[in-house]
Amino acid sequence: MSGRENEGRHGFPGPPRARGGWGGHIGAPPPNVEVVGMTKRFGDLAALDAVSLRLRPGTFHAILGENGAGKSTLVKCLMGYHRADAGRVLVDGTERVISNPRHAHELGLGMVYQHFTLVPSMTGAENLILGADDLPAIVRWDAVRARLEAFQARIPFAIDFDRPVSTLAAGEKQKLEILKQLFLGRRVIILDEPTTVLTPDEADQILGVMREMTRAGRLTAVIITHKLREVLAFADEVTVLRAGRRVGGGPVRELSRAELVHMMIGAARMPEPAPPTAPRRPAPALELHELTASNDKGLTAVRGVSLRVHGGEIVGVAGVSGNGQRELVEVLAGQREPDSGQIRIAGEGYGRTRAEMRRRGVFVLMEEPLRNACVRGMSVAENLAFRNFDEPPNARGGWLVSRRALRTQARALIERFRIRASGPDAPLETLSGGNVQRTVLARELSGDVAVLVAQNPCAGLDIAATAEIRSRIAGVRNAGAAVLLISEDLDELLELADRIVVMFEGRLVYETSRAQADLHTIGHYMASH
Amino acid sequence: MRIGAWAETAAISAAALLSSLALFGVFVALRGLDPLEVYATLFHGAFGTRFSLEHTLTQSAPLMLTALCTALPARAGLLVIGGEGALVIGGVMTVLVGVSLAGAPAPLAIAAMCAAGALGGGLWVGAAGALRHWRGVNETISTLLLNYIAIAVMNHLVTGPIRDFAQVLKPASWPIGPAFMIGEMPGTSIHWGLAFGVAACLGTWVLMRHTTFGFAVDILGGNARAARMAGLPIGVLILVTSILGGAAAGLAGAIEIIAVHGFASASLAVGYGYTGILVAFLARQNPLAVIVVAILLGGISASGGLLQRRFGLPDAATLVLQGLLFVAVLAANTLAGRFRIFRPRTA
Amino acid sequence: MELGWWGVLIAVAGGAARVSVPYLFVSLGETLTERSGRVNLGLEGTLVLGAMSGYGIAYLSGSPWLGVLVAGSVGAGLGLVHGLVCNLPRVNDIAVGIALFLLGTGLAFYLGKPFIQPVAPRLPHLELGAWSASPPVRAALEINALFVAGALLAPLLGWALFNTRWGLIVRTVGDNADAARALGYSVGWIRAASTTAGGFLAGVGGSFLSLYYPGTWNEGLSSGQGLMAIALVIFARWSPLRCFWVSLLFGGATALGPALQSVGITAHYYLLNAAPYVLTLTLLIWSSSPRHLLVGAPSELTISR
Repeated sequence: MSGRENEGRHGFPGPPRARGGWGGHIGAPPPNVEVVGMTKRFGDLAALDAVSLRLRPGTFHAILGENGAGKSTLVKCLMGYHRADAGRVLVDGTERVISNPRHAHELGLGMVYQHFTLVPSMTGAENLILGADDLPAIVRWDAVRARLEAFQARIPFAIDFDRPVSTLAAGEKQKLEILKQLFLGRRVIILDEPTTVLTPDEADQILGVMREMTRAGRLTAVIITHKLREVLAFADEVTVLRAGRRVGGGPVRELSRAELVHMMIGAARMPEPAPPTAPRRPAPALELHELTASNDKGLTAVRGVSLRVHGGEIVGVAGVSGNGQRELVEVLAGQREPDSGQIRIAGEGYGRTRAEMRRRGVFVLMEEPLRNACVRGMSVAENLAFRNFDEPPNARGGWLVSRRALRTQARALIERFRIRASGPDAPLETLSGGNVQRTVLARELSGDVAVLVAQNPCAGLDIAATAEIRSRIAGVRNAGAAVLLISEDLDELLELADRIVVMFEGRLVYETSRAQADLHTIGHYMASH
Repeated sequence: MRIGAWAETAAISAAALLSSLALFGVFVALRGLDPLEVYATLFHGAFGTRFSLEHTLTQSAPLMLTALCTALPARAGLLVIGGEGALVIGGVMTVLVGVSLAGAPAPLAIAAMCAAGALGGGLWVGAAGALRHWRGVNETISTLLLNYIAIAVMNHLVTGPIRDFAQVLKPASWPIGPAFMIGEMPGTSIHWGLAFGVAACLGTWVLMRHTTFGFAVDILGGNARAARMAGLPIGVLILVTSILGGAAAGLAGAIEIIAVHGFASASLAVGYGYTGILVAFLARQNPLAVIVVAILLGGISASGGLLQRRFGLPDAATLVLQGLLFVAVLAANTLAGRFRIFRPRTA
Repeated sequence: MELGWWGVLIAVAGGAARVSVPYLFVSLGETLTERSGRVNLGLEGTLVLGAMSGYGIAYLSGSPWLGVLVAGSVGAGLGLVHGLVCNLPRVNDIAVGIALFLLGTGLAFYLGKPFIQPVAPRLPHLELGAWSASPPVRAALEINALFVAGALLAPLLGWALFNTRWGLIVRTVGDNADAARALGYSVGWIRAASTTAGGFLAGVGGSFLSLYYPGTWNEGLSSGQGLMAIALVIFARWSPLRCFWVSLLFGGATALGPALQSVGITAHYYLLNAAPYVLTLTLLIWSSSPRHLLVGAPSELTISR
């Protein structure tokens, strides 16, 4: 973080440079990029351990690995976001020190980040020229527009450059990001998990275009992914990382799917989820009836969603991020007021008050726990008590909080959920991300769960933690609870859910049982109805 | 851990105090004065003699109460700076009740006046809290505006509807009469307001530290999304903290009337509300620390007159020192959590 | 007096042009600052300190324009302090603004004591009403050069935000700090620069108070104009051009009390003086919503969250 803060020139960009300039010189060939022995440590953790990588001009290269394998760290070191502890970068055979993204840009390297770096209130055109090194002091929009038109004639995507980015769909934003890199003359384009926000069809289209452009020798494409399908279908070469080390790679056509899987996850085995031991209960535990809600901008995000979840089953909600899932979860969690519709639990209206949450046994695992479910400055013990600080034995006489009781409760939960903290009094902000997640898990799953809403519960966790959380969720279901699992990870849904529904533009557009689930049909509904 | 957190807060606040005193020293040195002599006088004027100490404690009483007006809502995540307005409205309400109860038994009237002052201030700031929760209106800006509106309302009343034409020097309201004035604490020249202030701070501390209400408010202040997820009654928490905070400042207004002035006039709005904000921030919103910090800043205010007489410094010199201190405190906030020695070792 | 209610109207219109200038400069400055993603609530203090320093320098040097320049520079200085302090991690920009509000006011009172009595030269104005025989009309049409400057600055700033390099950069920093960092810009320094520029404008606005209207220096010179100007930015939805129109509206509201007094209506004088505050609060309530964020607010802004 501090590296990012300090980077860059202080203030406004310097005078225009003689080199290139915006408008996209699509003719120039991409450079040959080599990374040798890159090492990066974060504290005690070696995120990257002497990893080497070669990006041949005009190839489509995949960097494959599980969450936490070091893929993002590798390219961020290459791009000058992180300062590597050791390692060299050679561009066309010359060693280069890249200490800042601008250096990387000057060498023709560009990156599309997982969280888009477009400015939402600006138009596509404004976003495109923003990154230009020679952005003139006064922008003559007629000239820019002429160049954009010339540029658009040579590129494979059609985008309305005059619309504010906030009105574009996720797929269009992804395209615009890629266009921006092309427009700014970048020859090596790195995409960080590009398909997590795309439907399978959109992903195929974008990756297909990238592959064509690499075939034509116009650029080198690099994708960071954990999806084997994308590697096998599009990449020419692959580098596989595991726990910060390069564990294999080479031309994709010489590697089998099984070999790649073995390299990627090694000896670790994904445990099978426990099969349901409790049968699905006949009466629905959680019912949504015509639920409608707006997003922060006041636009309707959830449109008339009706759904029933029975005790003893997991219903998975699939969908590309940004189709109303967040707002739906927020409504269920009590963070957002619905515009209309009803939520019923065990047949009765559910007003999302504390008393009802407690009586009905409703618990929520939200994504980004630090943002949604915890207080950084409060202790682990306090964070663990959010659900029951006002109940005996934590509260005496109903209003006096006993700190001693909170600590006792915390010690037990820390033990049971293996939270690594210096003690119950440690401020939550001193814990690692995984342990924050465990803290929330301990709080939400240690009660009497009748209804559980879980949203991307395993995002960003390593394979062991993922397996543990998934088996705990399955365990809650097996104990008879109704589970609504909202996930952007189709594999997760296919593994856990008994039924899958697809959410698109705020509506539920498709439903299938797990037994009949077909990846392509689901993908089709994720893209349109 | 608790001790570590206290030590850290104290160390950071002390660092801010020292650096702002140093800056202030530069200021007075530019006037050709010896900073050390000014510091010595400052200390002497605040705590040097029994008289100055009593003056300091008297000054600190309204500061404790107005500080709570910022500190209490701040625990719920609100940045309220409406202490000045709540104090003024509280004072006006006190006079209205006091005048209309003329002839009633004094203890009853005094209780009624205090209640009226607290109620006026509480509703004044509570309105900002309600607007924040139910209308999304930024409470910082709305409370600042309410300060100006409160002063305008008071000016309107004391120049017209409740003007006492016997007072010719400046517009003032009818007096509540000497029978309704509370005196000084036995054996001192400090009025009873100090006891009110200390009691309010202690009460707030118990409320925030030991009750389920305080725990819920801390969750809300730490992360409103988490509080909603826990099903806490956000609106009630915001409303109650802002009403209690406003009530504290309104009580300060009541005390200014029943212990100091006896009538409402422009001298109600002399900046206690604004200094109270500084007290709250310097105390890092902790009600116990408010007591100490209020005495410290009461001392600075109290010694203003002495600085003026001894060195010819304008009375605004204390405002400058307070402003420097405020900036220093906020800048020092960046140090919070940076010192390893105050943190428990992580496993 | 012989103009009656027309007189009130003319006085309000003329007053609007006069009284709106501080609102206009402060709101343009705050618009620039907030477009970069920071709030500077300290502009009330900047306004007062600008008024005092402008008056003091004009008196000492004999040149009101030098006073304006110094007032702007002093304002820029306070803005720079705000920008630098807020660049530190974990520092709340709203709280720093309040601190600078108190510091600016304190400094102005502290340094301004000697200038309460002396008379400084006033800023000149254009006599647009020379054709009229009626003194109230002539008085209403005395247009100050700073009003003209502000009226030109508003569209210029609006244009610059969308058509120049720094305008695009300021908006980027205010709307998506991560994007700005990814482009290699230093978010903190750009915000500090925008706050400094905003402080300059607020300082200039302050000098208008002391050097033209009302044209004296005393401790009660500004009563919340700087603060109302900040609220006005929300209502103007961060558009410089709308700031101009809303400033005129506020100027008119502020001029109402004195205008009525001039025709002999003195009842409720203080209540009428509260009109701008009530108007501001009403507009603020009207522009806010509990359901969604403020319309048009830069996404990085703390008050819009």
